[in-house]
Amino acid sequence: MDDRTTQVLLIEDNPGDADLVRLRLLEGKSPVNVNCVHRLSEGLASLSSDTPTVVLLDLNLPDSHGAETFRRVRDHSPNVPIVVLSGLDDQVLAERAVHQGVQDYLVKGDISSKHLERAIRYAVERQALTLSLQIAQKQQLDFKNQFLDHVSHELRTPLTCIHQYVTLLLDGLAGPVSPDQTDHLRTILKSVNQLHAMLRDLLEATRAETGKMRIEPRCVSLNDLIHQTVAMMLPAADAKKIGLEIGVAVNLPLVHADPDRVLEVLINLVDNAIKFTPMNGAVMVQASVVEADMGTVYVSVADTGRGINPETKALIFERLYQDPDSVDNNRSGLGLGLFICREIVRLHGGRISVSSDPGQGSTFTFTLPAYSLPKLLAPVCAYEGRLRPNFILLRVELTPISSPPRGSWKDTAQQCLDVVRRCVYLDKDLVLPPMGNSGAGETFFIAAACDLEKSGIMATRIREQLERIPDLKAKCILTIVAAQVELPSNLASAPLEEQVQQLSEVFTGMIKASMERKQSATSQRLSNSNWAEPRPNRN
Amino acid sequence: MTTMQKPKILVVDDDPDLVRALRLRLRANNYEVTTATDGYTAVASAQKEHPALIILDLGLPVGDGFVVLDRLQNIDSLASVPVIVLSARDPQSNEQRALKAGAAAFFQKPADNDELMHAIQMNLSPGQPHTAHWPS
Repeated sequence: MDDRTTQVLLIEDNPGDADLVRLRLLEGKSPVNVNCVHRLSEGLASLSSDTPTVVLLDLNLPDSHGAETFRRVRDHSPNVPIVVLSGLDDQVLAERAVHQGVQDYLVKGDISSKHLERAIRYAVERQALTLSLQIAQKQQLDFKNQFLDHVSHELRTPLTCIHQYVTLLLDGLAGPVSPDQTDHLRTILKSVNQLHAMLRDLLEATRAETGKMRIEPRCVSLNDLIHQTVAMMLPAADAKKIGLEIGVAVNLPLVHADPDRVLEVLINLVDNAIKFTPMNGAVMVQASVVEADMGTVYVSVADTGRGINPETKALIFERLYQDPDSVDNNRSGLGLGLFICREIVRLHGGRISVSSDPGQGSTFTFTLPAYSLPKLLAPVCAYEGRLRPNFILLRVELTPISSPPRGSWKDTAQQCLDVVRRCVYLDKDLVLPPMGNSGAGETFFIAAACDLEKSGIMATRIREQLERIPDLKAKCILTIVAAQVELPSNLASAPLEEQVQQLSEVFTGMIKASMERKQSATSQRLSNSNWAEPRPNRN
Repeated sequence: MTTMQKPKILVVDDDPDLVRALRLRLRANNYEVTTATDGYTAVASAQKEHPALIILDLGLPVGDGFVVLDRLQNIDSLASVPVIVLSARDPQSNEQRALKAGAAAFFQKPADNDELMHAIQMNLSPGQPHTAHWPS
């Protein structure tokens, strides 16, 4: 067949209309081949096997109506141009379709072969243009990100040199320094640190944009993170005589979040609040839940600053946005902080927003998912609508030998967690998110649906796999213990949902007791009769 | 290692200015310092000088940091010498790789001096890791 032959897929259920369009197509000057189908499903099937030059599409078909019709064709074959065939009565819909990516529309009663030929030719050309535009945009984004990556790496080298020599001088390692000189050197160091922070933000923002930003959620206390933030920001607040206060609800649940990342968001918001609040103002960090939705924790940072005007509010979380009215314009950073915050919150499945009236201060609020054991347990602890018969709680404990641990402890802990996750049955065992910050040591809990005897096999498997990690033996001591879960005897009669809830409570109680015991006396770790080092029973 | 002898540190970086600054700081912290500015010399120097610890950049001429790590791991007398990587590269794509290749720690430039000195000290503290109890 001639390469220049226009392949038309005509999706039209009315035989009269279909014949008319076919006739008009064949009347034209250029060679054309028409494949006519009457249902959307047939059209999609045809698109799966062949790529036509253009789709002529009636919107009201036996198996699809209105906007839905072109959406489905577009989603199925985004690169094939579509021309909608509309009746006199659905022109509005056809116009809307053009706004949403359809190349053109023709009114059925008013089609000449010239019309049709031109519409098809333009549709094909427009589609090709759109496509090349998209490709160019992607190339540009890739190029920009590669460039930023390269630049931030190259800038680090001279920055490191400046940093080293300034600190050498400041530390008196190159001879005595006068108080005035020390003061000047501190100013240089401050600028170096600012540059460093900007480079970090630049890389973070690039990562966020390319989907390479990662989070490692754990079961963490937001209360601790807020206190940590406030402790860090207190000197900056004190310097401006700003009161920095905390208000955390008593019933605040733990959250399922990456502590380092959440800390980053909190520091950023509090730092901004202090920056934009005048002397003697106040900044308040709050965290709470609303009764209607206990699965979501709300965190807010409120200040008594000059507030944000409505136009700014809409743009404030965008990349590179800078407040044109900033009082501190020469030191305002790159305008990436809030963009990074938004991306971090989004990765946690949360939202971030700001409410403010000029002159009335601003409140930034973000949400994080509450840590819910029942939600995590539900998919694994039941089988065919019934709770599994036996459960054990396995505790895998890594205690670093040197303190602080040799090498990068955080990475070691993460590597171990990945190994442990590979050692369990995904459909009936659950490796719980790690608890708190991985500071001195790491404890993983596994809720497993088996009896104590079988837990030995699991423990051996975990130990064997963990011991394969190079150098782990040199870094930490490994302890694995298990305990049988004692369920209330009347549990079986309750609805499944309640059984899962109760099971979660039992697990939570055991974990709490186990963590407290660990804190109070490590030596008594195994003396409690509930916990035992599981022995494999291979008979 | 006796307490009388200063531990010897091999600093490998292709930026001579940075090498000079690190040498000053390490000497002030009571270490003996030897240096190299490319991958090939780094391995040769390690074999000759037998340092107690190596500070290694990743972007190096004549065999980059990963090549050096690999070479060191395959030389019996050097495999156990702790290597601290100090690089401007992105930790997200290089830290795990460096640790897997045998590095003891990864610091991104510019690194905090106190943290770096602490890491050096920790990795030099003798005996500890290997005498530890590991339940069988």
